[in-house]
Amino acid sequence: MRDERSYRVALVADRYVNPEPGHLDGLAVLAAAGWGVMQLPDDSYPAEVARPLLAEVAEQVEEFTRRGYGFILVGERDGLAEALALVGVALPDRIVPASAAELREFLAVQPVPSALDAASDRPRQAATAAPE
Amino acid sequence: MGVAFVAHCLLNQNSKVLDGAHCAGVYSPIVDVLRARGWRIEQMPCPELAFAGLNRFWAVREQYDTAAFRRHCQRLATAVAGAIEARVHQGEEVVLVGVEGSPSMGVTITSSDPQRGGRPAWPDGSPELTSGEGIFVEELHAELGRRGITVRVAGETHAIPGHDEAAQRARLESVLEHRDA
Repeated sequence: MRDERSYRVALVADRYVNPEPGHLDGLAVLAAAGWGVMQLPDDSYPAEVARPLLAEVAEQVEEFTRRGYGFILVGERDGLAEALALVGVALPDRIVPASAAELREFLAVQPVPSALDAASDRPRQAATAAPE
Repeated sequence: MGVAFVAHCLLNQNSKVLDGAHCAGVYSPIVDVLRARGWRIEQMPCPELAFAGLNRFWAVREQYDTAAFRRHCQRLATAVAGAIEARVHQGEEVVLVGVEGSPSMGVTITSSDPQRGGRPAWPDGSPELTSGEGIFVEELHAELGRRGITVRVAGETHAIPGHDEAAQRARLESVLEHRDA
């Protein structure tokens, strides 16, 4: 099977994944552009719920970053910068888009992830399981 | 309507084991069904990504069934269960959408091969698929059980032989509507 990943991941505020009617559907724009989404905890969660979720997001961001995947932040989330700092990662380039066009333009100017180059040299292997 | 807690890779195929991503980023067939029916989407962490990394090998359940991975999954499950509990207390319905065949995220089908190990070369095919839950899903159900919470489950079936997108959609819809599949 050919691996279809884009090597591009967006950290995305909940309001762009679950938009109110009439608001920007960031998930749809990112999906159409081939970006993966890492959703940030909903702002309505109390700190004791959000903090451990942000810690897990940060650990996964650290792994993606170390492997050369492209990263951006769409929107904002209190506590994210602190969670990323704990794993030694800075906030990526950020946009708080007001429109789909603005988000698309931002995505279009992002650099090619270094992991894409490495992927072209990677040998393929037969496998059978269906891991997450 | 309610809240669907979905496997990480359903919004981010970049988290998949290498050679496992079947689209660029967002797996729309599941997302579209949830959104069309007005369900909120909340993404769970990928249990394998932070533990074994992006360059991990494909694996079956037995290879991940270690005390260390269980502790990792228990930590994740506690975080996710906190969010689920908050939604339940708000009166929301909750469903869990996993990945069938996954050693960690399977909800009714996982993978099993007690002999799998060593240098990673094995014939193509899917003989290791078996009924059961993945390890993270098992730990999440245990944590939710301690909190007195039960959730309905559905699974993405792309990796299952005979995968049929219409059937996958029908199963998900039946779970969302609380009908027997």
